[in-house]
Amino acid sequence: MMPPDPASNHKPLIAITGATGGLGRAFAVECASRSWDLFLTDLAPAPLAILASSLETTYGISVVTHTCDLTDPSSRAQMFDRIRDESIRFWGLINVAGLDHEGPFFEQSDRQIRSILRLNIEATLGMIHELLPFRAPLTPFRIINVASLAAFYPMPVKATYAASKRFLLDFSLALREELRGLGATVTVLCPAGMPTTASCIAGIEAQGWMGQITTRDVGRVANQTLDAALAGRVIVIPGGVNRLLQILGGLAPASLVARIIFQRWTSARQKRNWISPAIPQVET
Amino acid sequence: MDNELHNHTYVVTGATSGIGLAAAEILVRRGAGVIGVGRSAERCKAVEAHLHHIHPDAPVHYLVADLSLQKNIHQVADEILNQLAGTGKPVLDGLLNNAGTFTYWMILTAEGIEMQWAVNHLAPFLLTHRLIPALQAAPLARVVTVSSGSHRHGWINWNDPQLRRCYNGLRAYGNTKLANILFTLEFNRRLGTGSAIRAFAANPGLVKTDIGMKGNPAIAGLVWKLRRSGGIPAEESARGIVYLLTEPSIQESTEVYWKHGIPQHASRRALDPAAATRLWVLSEKMCGLDGGNRHDAA
Ligand SMILES: NC(=O)c1ccc[n+]([C@@H]2O[C@H](COP(=O)([O-])OP(=O)(O)OC[C@H]3O[C@@H](n4cnc5c(N)ncnc54)[C@H](OP(=O)(O)O)[C@@H]3O)[C@@H](O)[C@H]2O)c1
Repeated sequence: MMPPDPASNHKPLIAITGATGGLGRAFAVECASRSWDLFLTDLAPAPLAILASSLETTYGISVVTHTCDLTDPSSRAQMFDRIRDESIRFWGLINVAGLDHEGPFFEQSDRQIRSILRLNIEATLGMIHELLPFRAPLTPFRIINVASLAAFYPMPVKATYAASKRFLLDFSLALREELRGLGATVTVLCPAGMPTTASCIAGIEAQGWMGQITTRDVGRVANQTLDAALAGRVIVIPGGVNRLLQILGGLAPASLVARIIFQRWTSARQKRNWISPAIPQVET
Repeated sequence: MDNELHNHTYVVTGATSGIGLAAAEILVRRGAGVIGVGRSAERCKAVEAHLHHIHPDAPVHYLVADLSLQKNIHQVADEILNQLAGTGKPVLDGLLNNAGTFTYWMILTAEGIEMQWAVNHLAPFLLTHRLIPALQAAPLARVVTVSSGSHRHGWINWNDPQLRRCYNGLRAYGNTKLANILFTLEFNRRLGTGSAIRAFAANPGLVKTDIGMKGNPAIAGLVWKLRRSGGIPAEESARGIVYLLTEPSIQESTEVYWKHGIPQHASRRALDPAAATRLWVLSEKMCGLDGGNRHDAA
């Protein structure tokens, strides 16, 4: 494990989980371009090192990296031990790490279902709970949780995922009130599709024009979300069309929305299987 | 088949399809040695065999590198320099910075850099830097960077040069092609008069290649298909580019921007010396060439 630059201990950091994925990277770059020092964590050490060294070179910031399997409580505990030992302080936390195994519930393994719950819910809550004591004094502590537009609807074939994001949405809104007195804010990001990986792009393609108009570039999403968090705003839904969908979705009965989504997905899957069958989707 | 470029060596990036492949073919036909750079090992191998077939005596060697990452650029530069050293004559007569890409959606590389900015602008900038020692060893050396008429749509916002915050694929493309000309302008200024190296930016014209279709949404590919139908074949475009790479008589020319071997007016923004210097300094910083800690090739 790499010893941190001692200088970085003096300035509070922003922690980002899932930092080397598409959206995580965009958040990291956006923070770096604002000259904020970073604490980046993800599963694999090599991509973390590449990203960190590039951000340090380009933006002249300091970056601490820590490889961690967030679904593993002991791996998380090691990370928090290190934070304690090195007295690292934070003024923000961006919970990007999350995953989905798309497909009908009964076709999924117990392990797959558990990994969604572990990463999307347990790890996110663990990060917030364990990092709050290490927040920097005198500055507001900014928490950003990445949920999804899926948080607003029951979503067949993404049932566990969408419900886990719903959990994060409700949890964030409640926690926000509890933390007011501590000078901490909670912002929850609910994006629609973002073209981050080849399989995401294939998914957007399969949705046709709907995919086109609901998709937002990650750079813009990251920038807009950080501004919103600094302003203490509560929910960020990038894209006018997506905000409209969220409002319309709220007007219809949830059972009807679920039925429509299932029909759309079935036809999208038929199209997508033409291109490449059974794409495992991992969103970070 | 002739041998007038016998004993000359050129590096061509993006030499596995389109304009780069056509340029490599012309060079090989004229007996030159070609070090091609491509991102797909499979295509590199196939093209290498094809070029050997065209001219069995011309030394052709392809190297595989995804130029979107600086780590790989350093690595391939080392390989090129080693390769040249291995011939006993570590001399490079020209570098054709041709690899280019268009991405409809904003993609960040693993190094956190917008894809088109990384491949179309920073890669030529960094690779040129790394190959300067070999270029300087040649009596006359050229650095030709393939820009585009689209540079006219370019307008670099210095607060967000990669357009991360308001990405538009076409505008980002135009910015990188504008950057190609600004790079060429500033490079020549820094080399000064009487340098063995001369840099030119080329507008290849509208060329029938697949550039707009690779990895982009079907609709963007369709628009490109329609547009390119009015284009010229890659071989025709490549002739004008190889001219810039090889023609001795234009060594002292002060023209920066050329189309089919004829000097052209670039946009006003492309000829702004202050912008050229500013871009240079920014690019040095982004490539770790400004004295700060740089990526290690290893
Ligand atoms: N076609 C036109 O009308 C036109 C007009 C103006 C300017 N240009 C410029 O001309 C140049 C050549 O374009 P083209 O039309 O010949 O397109 P092309 O056929 O797509 O060729 C581009 C080349 O660059 C390579 N490349 C792309 N990304 C790369 C990466 N990350 N690392 C390494 N190599 C990479 C490609 O490799 P693969 O073979 O593996 O795909 C290909 O060999 C580009 O700079 C383009 O901007 C073209």
